Amino acid sequence: MPAHRLAPLSVFYRAGETVMRLAWLLVIATIGSRSMGVPTEVGVGVVAAGLVLALVYQFVYWERYEYELTGDTFDIRSGVLSKRTREIPLGRIQNVDLRRNVVQRALGIAEVRLETAGGSETEAQLRFVGEDEAERLRDAVSRRKRGVSDDSAESEPEAELLFAVTPRELLILGVTSVDLRLLSLASVFLPVLLPSLTDRFGDPLVSFAMAAPLGAFGLAVAAAVLSGLYSITNYYGFRLSRAGSELRYERGLLQQFAGTIPLEKVQTLAVTENVLARRLGYASLSVETAGYAPGDSSGSQSAVPIAERERVFSLARSVDAFGDPDWQRPPKRARARYVVRYVSLVLVLTGIAYAVDRFTGLSYAWYYVLLGVPLAPVGAHLKWRNLAYAVCEDHVLTRAGFWSRETRVVPYYRIQTVVHSQSVFQRRRHLATVLVDTAGGGGITGSDARAIDIDADDAAALRETVHDRLQDSLTEARAVRRRRRLESITAAGTGPGPDVSPGD
Amino acid sequence: MSDGDAEPDEEAGPDPESGSDPPDGRGSEGRATRREAPDRTPRGRAATGENDRDPEPAAGNGAEANRAGTDPPGRDAEPAATTGDHSTEGSEVTPEEIDVDELTGPVRRLDPRVRYVWVLGSVVGALVLGGIAGVVGFVAFDRPLLGPAVFLFLLGLGAVLAVLRYRSWSYEVREDSLYLERGVLTHTRTVVPYVRIQHVDASRGPVERALGLATAVVYTAGSRGADVSIPGLTTDRADDLQERLKRLAIAAEGEDAV
Repeated sequence: MPAHRLAPLSVFYRAGETVMRLAWLLVIATIGSRSMGVPTEVGVGVVAAGLVLALVYQFVYWERYEYELTGDTFDIRSGVLSKRTREIPLGRIQNVDLRRNVVQRALGIAEVRLETAGGSETEAQLRFVGEDEAERLRDAVSRRKRGVSDDSAESEPEAELLFAVTPRELLILGVTSVDLRLLSLASVFLPVLLPSLTDRFGDPLVSFAMAAPLGAFGLAVAAAVLSGLYSITNYYGFRLSRAGSELRYERGLLQQFAGTIPLEKVQTLAVTENVLARRLGYASLSVETAGYAPGDSSGSQSAVPIAERERVFSLARSVDAFGDPDWQRPPKRARARYVVRYVSLVLVLTGIAYAVDRFTGLSYAWYYVLLGVPLAPVGAHLKWRNLAYAVCEDHVLTRAGFWSRETRVVPYYRIQTVVHSQSVFQRRRHLATVLVDTAGGGGITGSDARAIDIDADDAAALRETVHDRLQDSLTEARAVRRRRRLESITAAGTGPGPDVSPGD
Repeated sequence: MSDGDAEPDEEAGPDPESGSDPPDGRGSEGRATRREAPDRTPRGRAATGENDRDPEPAAGNGAEANRAGTDPPGRDAEPAATTGDHSTEGSEVTPEEIDVDELTGPVRRLDPRVRYVWVLGSVVGALVLGGIAGVVGFVAFDRPLLGPAVFLFLLGLGAVLAVLRYRSWSYEVREDSLYLERGVLTHTRTVVPYVRIQHVDASRGPVERALGLATAVVYTAGSRGADVSIPGLTTDRADDLQERLKRLAIAAEGEDAV
């Protein structure tokens, strides 16, 4: 197959991008030229020269950028000043993502990203190819990963629609996805807004009492509306389908995303229900592969943004069939630990409040903070109630979190390391935490699969069980692979048969 | 290569544990390495005990000096010898050719000198904080002794922590996984299956180099991959461990490391 070039239009788009990135120069140039008495034309001229330079550079970039899909690798030759040749084995490609924003859609171009497990960044980023070409590439990569050549008569596997978001679900998503982190942002802006609000009222004390809750409320509402709108545009028209051994998704109103998730590369499934969604009986499912760097919350891992709980679990089971979990709960003494933890937190806060009252001019009823003490047992109970773990036939499941409860399903086959830890406080109560690490995303939002504060003996047993099951699953996978290789050798007796890709 | 293989056998001759070995050990190279497997472990343990607890005095007396002098190179030569064997046969080592039993070992401690590495590390921290405290104490409170007091306190704390940390550390090259135990305040036990090992580094900081120590760092594809490192290994042992883990990872058929 001949080498391909990027779409010609990408030259203009990329040049435009460069100029936009340098737009601040334009601002400085115009302002500077006016104040210094230099004619405005000079500033405009500088920008025009920049645009021409960018165009030339991007043209050379385009001319020297070639990619090619060979039988078992994806090759890229690129580089304006220093040349780079990159070969990516197809078997190692984890995800193929297409994305295009509004402008790119108008131009009919799209960005293609190929993700592999190694490295911290996207392995190959084609910016940009034509829309048809992007889809052709995606299909060709998945076809070759299956070991089917381009011109063979074998047709695309039938894509079976698993999930399509309804307007109702989208609305619920908007309501439930109110990001609590935005509220913390609100608390930052509150002190800034407050003085201007206090001026409106006469008495400063009354006005403060009126303005603070009002301001907080207003900001919370604004944040909620914004984050709701954000998730609605982000997941607009979400569709998840299954084609052969791949999941395919597409979503987005303004910026459109489409991509594939190979099922055999799935590391972890996570079902998330925040407190609001739980009340309404909804949940979301995300599928983690090793392709994304830890902490990369690009959201493309989200397999089902929102659906009824039952449906989410049945979809999760269709991705990776895990059994009915027999939840094991941490012992009651773990709850006592949280009571102590929360009470001491309240006491520390009270201490701070007292210190502020004592040493600054601000005087207020600091002892009201102590009202948090009765809340501590409630919080402890809620935390404790949501903790659980389960050992199934092929998977280990963990569950944690009250505000946003996350259930993680880890196949034994995907376990990387098992870490069993016991802090000083845990040792006093004979408790321990077992962490099951996989190559999946993890990162800031996605926490690891942990069985928190379980009995220390259970933890030691769990550690060994999980490790033994991993070894069992490896032996099993090895046997399957050998059998398949043998079959392919016997099948290849007459001619060159399809390669068994290493990732199979 | 055959010298390296034969030497420990000759030294082991008078040793009651392996007294019956040398006669049939002379046969073939392949047999020699395989035969090593059963008696390796107890001997390795005895040698380890000596080396770990008291490396310097052992060099002083006669019979002990012999062992202390020849054993580490013997152990060192062993994996090297097996590598040589396989590499002459062909550059590809197939998992079936590796004898896993031979590569595993008992629970091991770190080299005691690692405590000095840790103490030196805390000296730096104590100096910085003590310096800050000294300046603040001198300028703001007119207490010139505050700085040295803070320094000594932190240093003492660091020394105690280093000793406790050394005591809490142990590692074990098990049949199908590397097992680590460590931690003073939080006890941590980590299981790293060999299949998951991506690569193993041996790193040596300046202090470690001065003391002849090294750290082995084991990388996995997991999100907390670089967390697994074993400090306080003698240079020989670090190389040995690196080689062993490499071979064990091959033996584990790491086709599916992710």
